[in-house]
Amino acid sequence: MTAGHRVAIVGCGYSNVGRNSGLSADEHMIQATKAALADAGLTVRDIDGMTSVGTEPLNDAWLLGVEPLNWWSSGMMAPAFSYAAVQAIAAVASGFSHTALALRVIKQQPSGKALAQGRTDHPMTAMMSMAAGDRQWLTPFGTGSPTQWAGLLTQRYMAQYGATEEDFGRHVITQRYHASMNDDAIFRDPMTMDEYLASRYVSKPLRILDCDYPVDSGSAVIFTTEERARDLDQPAVLVDSYALSAIRDLNFEILSDMVHTAPVQTAKSLWERTDLTPADVDTAQLYDGFSIIVFQWLEALGFCGEGESGAFVAEGNTRLGGSLPVNTDGGACNVGRRHGANFCIEATRQLRGQCGERQVDGAEVAVFTNAVGPFSAGALLTRG
Amino acid sequence: MTTTPAAAPPPIPQPDETTQFFWDAVAKHELWIQRCQRCKHYLHYPKILCRFCQSDDLRGERVSGRGTLYSWTIAVQPFLPFYVDRIPYTVGTVELEEQPGLMFCTQIVDCPEDDLRIDLPLEVVFVELHPELTLPFFRPAIDAAR
Repeated sequence: MTAGHRVAIVGCGYSNVGRNSGLSADEHMIQATKAALADAGLTVRDIDGMTSVGTEPLNDAWLLGVEPLNWWSSGMMAPAFSYAAVQAIAAVASGFSHTALALRVIKQQPSGKALAQGRTDHPMTAMMSMAAGDRQWLTPFGTGSPTQWAGLLTQRYMAQYGATEEDFGRHVITQRYHASMNDDAIFRDPMTMDEYLASRYVSKPLRILDCDYPVDSGSAVIFTTEERARDLDQPAVLVDSYALSAIRDLNFEILSDMVHTAPVQTAKSLWERTDLTPADVDTAQLYDGFSIIVFQWLEALGFCGEGESGAFVAEGNTRLGGSLPVNTDGGACNVGRRHGANFCIEATRQLRGQCGERQVDGAEVAVFTNAVGPFSAGALLTRG
Repeated sequence: MTTTPAAAPPPIPQPDETTQFFWDAVAKHELWIQRCQRCKHYLHYPKILCRFCQSDDLRGERVSGRGTLYSWTIAVQPFLPFYVDRIPYTVGTVELEEQPGLMFCTQIVDCPEDDLRIDLPLEVVFVELHPELTLPFFRPAIDAAR
């Protein structure tokens, strides 16, 4: 239990997520916000705090008609949606904002092929071809792509613990099974191990099916005080503890320990700030930008021992019906890159009991997390 | 504007005041790493302040060029036009012998994939990829018995 007001999640929403959606970032922001307000039974007049990764809250507030704005925060060098979530939670807990909207809006990033051909005007292309500042240690050497640091983290884990490609495959297949029960997922066809092992490498041992799926997306979550939440329609979901951690700057490629990274610190903080234990958690929604990240979180949070994620998954623990269903919406590999927001939203919907076929029976405690390496964040949620 | 891979210019490092020493040394086929003159910690990437003791008395010093392999990944999908014709290649993070945790990310060359392993002894080798681009890569140490 954290200091200050108890904070509740009262509204969640997405934009019309998809490949090359044709919608602007503003349109995704507006759609997601309206969906979250409708979910909560609130209007823009009820919002007085905004936090975002990917948009500027000041511009968003003016566009939406939020006035006055008593708290805002934005950041890009931050653990994606969970950064916005933690800023919103802290603002409500401290009383700086009574009702805060957390946003993650992300435009589809260019494919590796487009980057290699130098034919896109996306800002990422400019970044990836730059050879000044910290990039002078990466770009000339033919590295600096996120898939390559993910390859380094995955390879180190495999070599250190004897993990296999099949270990990651079983996790990917389990997530896909969950996605088959989610109308909102992009990929819903069951996957076999043969299909996983036949998928192409991006940066060996990392395969394309270990990577989340780039889309245009907008996601919004509304946080308010427990008192206000009691007056609203949705079953209250309470924030039990939350944490935001960084262990270095953004240079993943020179992490001196690629197995124990920021999630270790975030997990430590989360457990220090609660009476709950890992055994109390009914479902875990763990960021899957790359498969290795899920394994780092399973171990950092203490759901299994170091190097034991593969066996934990193989035993069926992370599958619906197992001891700890993980990424029950299918994860970002299957619902598309909502950059962490889907884990918060899925955790909330599980605790509300709104997940239909993929509902975890009697879910009372959930955890959601984001990011790996230099920085990470997450929160423990309980049914109110 | 589309650039054909064959004509793609090399990604030439753009040093600044703090990093010039490194690239000057590479031109002479030497590996230099920034070192704090007060607490003697090495720092990579070079910065304007020592993060161990907050001194700004930092200088490049020549290092042995020896280290061990910490991790690696085989790049099979290029994302830079210059590297389109150069895949596959091995990106590796090397722990330099001068200091625990002193990591250097580079390419590992002259090493079959099956020989890559944690703690493989490595040594620096200067590779001219292009008349305008020479880089310090690492290869298995010839004197691996040390």
